[in-house]
Amino acid sequence: MRIARIAAWSCALAILLMAGAATVARADAAPSASAAELKDALSKAPTTATLANGDPGGTTTGTVNDVPVADTKTGLTLGDVANQVGQNKIAVNFVWTLITGFLVMFMQAGFAMVESGLCRVKNANHTYMMNFFVYTCGLFAYWIIGFAIQMGGAAGNGNLGGLQSLNTEHVITLFGTHWGIFGECGMFLARSTYDVGVMVIFLFEMVFMDTALTIVTGACAERWKFLAFAVSSVLMGAFTYPLYGNWAWGGGWLSQLGVNAGLGKGYCDFAGSGVVHAVGGLTALAVAMIIGPRIGKFNRDGSANAIIGHDISAVLIGCFILAFGWFGFNPGSTLGASAAGNLRIGSIAVNTMLAGCTATFGALLYMWVVKGKPDASMSGNGILAGLVAITAPSGFVNTTGAAIIGFVAGVLVCLSCAFVENVLKVDDPVGAVSVHGTCGLWGVLSIGFFADGTSNYGGAWNGVTGSVTGLFYGDASQLVAQIVGCATLVGFVFTFSFVLNWILDVILGQRVSIATEVAGLDLPEMGQLGYPEFVFKPEPDVLLAAERMAVA
Amino acid sequence: MAATKSQGINFTLFMGGLTAVCAGVAFFDSGMAKLALILGLVCAAVALWGFFKIKPLEGKTGGTPQPAVMKLIGVVVVLAGWLFVLFGLHLTAGVGGRLVTSILGFAVSLAGICFILAPAVNKNAIWKA
Repeated sequence: MRIARIAAWSCALAILLMAGAATVARADAAPSASAAELKDALSKAPTTATLANGDPGGTTTGTVNDVPVADTKTGLTLGDVANQVGQNKIAVNFVWTLITGFLVMFMQAGFAMVESGLCRVKNANHTYMMNFFVYTCGLFAYWIIGFAIQMGGAAGNGNLGGLQSLNTEHVITLFGTHWGIFGECGMFLARSTYDVGVMVIFLFEMVFMDTALTIVTGACAERWKFLAFAVSSVLMGAFTYPLYGNWAWGGGWLSQLGVNAGLGKGYCDFAGSGVVHAVGGLTALAVAMIIGPRIGKFNRDGSANAIIGHDISAVLIGCFILAFGWFGFNPGSTLGASAAGNLRIGSIAVNTMLAGCTATFGALLYMWVVKGKPDASMSGNGILAGLVAITAPSGFVNTTGAAIIGFVAGVLVCLSCAFVENVLKVDDPVGAVSVHGTCGLWGVLSIGFFADGTSNYGGAWNGVTGSVTGLFYGDASQLVAQIVGCATLVGFVFTFSFVLNWILDVILGQRVSIATEVAGLDLPEMGQLGYPEFVFKPEPDVLLAAERMAVA
Repeated sequence: MAATKSQGINFTLFMGGLTAVCAGVAFFDSGMAKLALILGLVCAAVALWGFFKIKPLEGKTGGTPQPAVMKLIGVVVVLAGWLFVLFGLHLTAGVGGRLVTSILGFAVSLAGICFILAPAVNKNAIWKA
């Protein structure tokens, strides 16, 4: 009897377990749409007659009727629906990337206003024209060769449909591992790269490249020969920028440091503190060193004179335009808004604005405490410094990290400006070397400290599974990868730019004549004054005596 | 001399040459591409020669000649720092060791800019005259 009771209980328990398992299995299985359900949805869709009455509430526009049918004989199938879902994902990402690219393009206007505002009125037209023409020079050079060098081997981005036609990276083998050096396809966007996804990534990467180019014009303003500027910018857009861009973003060796050398997730630069800003800032330093300081900038004892810009309102409005454009720069660097962790765009945007905020505090408070005035131009440079610094880590850090990174950048830009001017004796009229070079390097390094390991864009970064994690969150090797990136920027990019522009100096001369410089570059170089109705102040004696002092 | 027609002509030639060279490389397997490549190289060379020829017409500039050897040494030191960083990655597999070599190499590159190149480009600066 007892045995029969135990057997009965066991049977009951087994039946219960089976029933439970079946219920769980039913709950786990995704409900599948049937042909009947699709037919039902089609029957419920609004008719043409209904739609003809208008849809003020927006409830009947966009239905199953709008899903394209591959074969009209069989009608709508699950395959059609799935294809439309896939295309919608790519479409969302295309639109997101393009619109953020347009925002970045508009940053050129901000740069033009900041740089011209910080220059004297007699050079306004020339400075504006450099900022205007650099867009053209860079775009053309990038189209004919730069894009191919940078992105020719960047296939595999699922956000933009795979970009499978960008599949040729020149690779060298060292110590038994393969390292990407430059891309080899995509020149003129011809042949297989005549592709919708490639066009989107071209536009987005192009406006980034142009941002780097326009940084140099600021540091060399008021004395750079227009011809030299044009040739130098074309070569930078064709070779200097794309090469480093490939190493970091195009599948090149820096991005492979994680896979090949076990350094974190490889060199990480989410939106370009290194690729865009440090490349621009360090090239600016190289060219400014070759050109030399403006006449009257330094006294015989080496002390520096402040040469005040002509329009602080243009500077501050320009800074706002740049801050606005940065919402394209950083959140846009997800290259999509749908899937693969891209919903983090909100976090990236908040990090961006927060770093700009704390950096403004950093610069303004530093100047107020140390110099006694809340200096407007340094405050402007402060917000830019914070935005530059957060560009690389924006996708990997939390808001506290972003605030600290920004604040440090704000103070750092003030210290760096003083160092460049008083120690290096390099004349940088707008502070471009400090804002973009110094703070760009800081931004790259900061990932190695502050990346919090929560950002997981599709499960891996640079081919290494997991999230980017910095020293403060447990991965010291990421910091090493970031330092290697910084060393490459200083050791290779700076050197390459210095030698290239030195050669250009020998061939065509980088600097305008003393007579042109003293008169202002507007009339001699551009043939037109920026502000023809302004009455110029008489030049100080030191400028008029410059021609006597010149030895070349 | 400021901006001139000669500058404009040579810049046009330079851009045309560069475009033709790139077209030659991009479509190298077609017959016309090789011709474009050669023509492009010739145009670029002529443009560079043109730039060089009109350079003296610029007149006295505020940029004074600086010691080339010192500048070269600076460039070599900056480059050497970077190469040391790359070499250091293969010296040791430990993160601590790699951190030290990376920082050292980076510091050498920075020192090359600050203490060799910067003084080199200011050696005969106009403001010292």
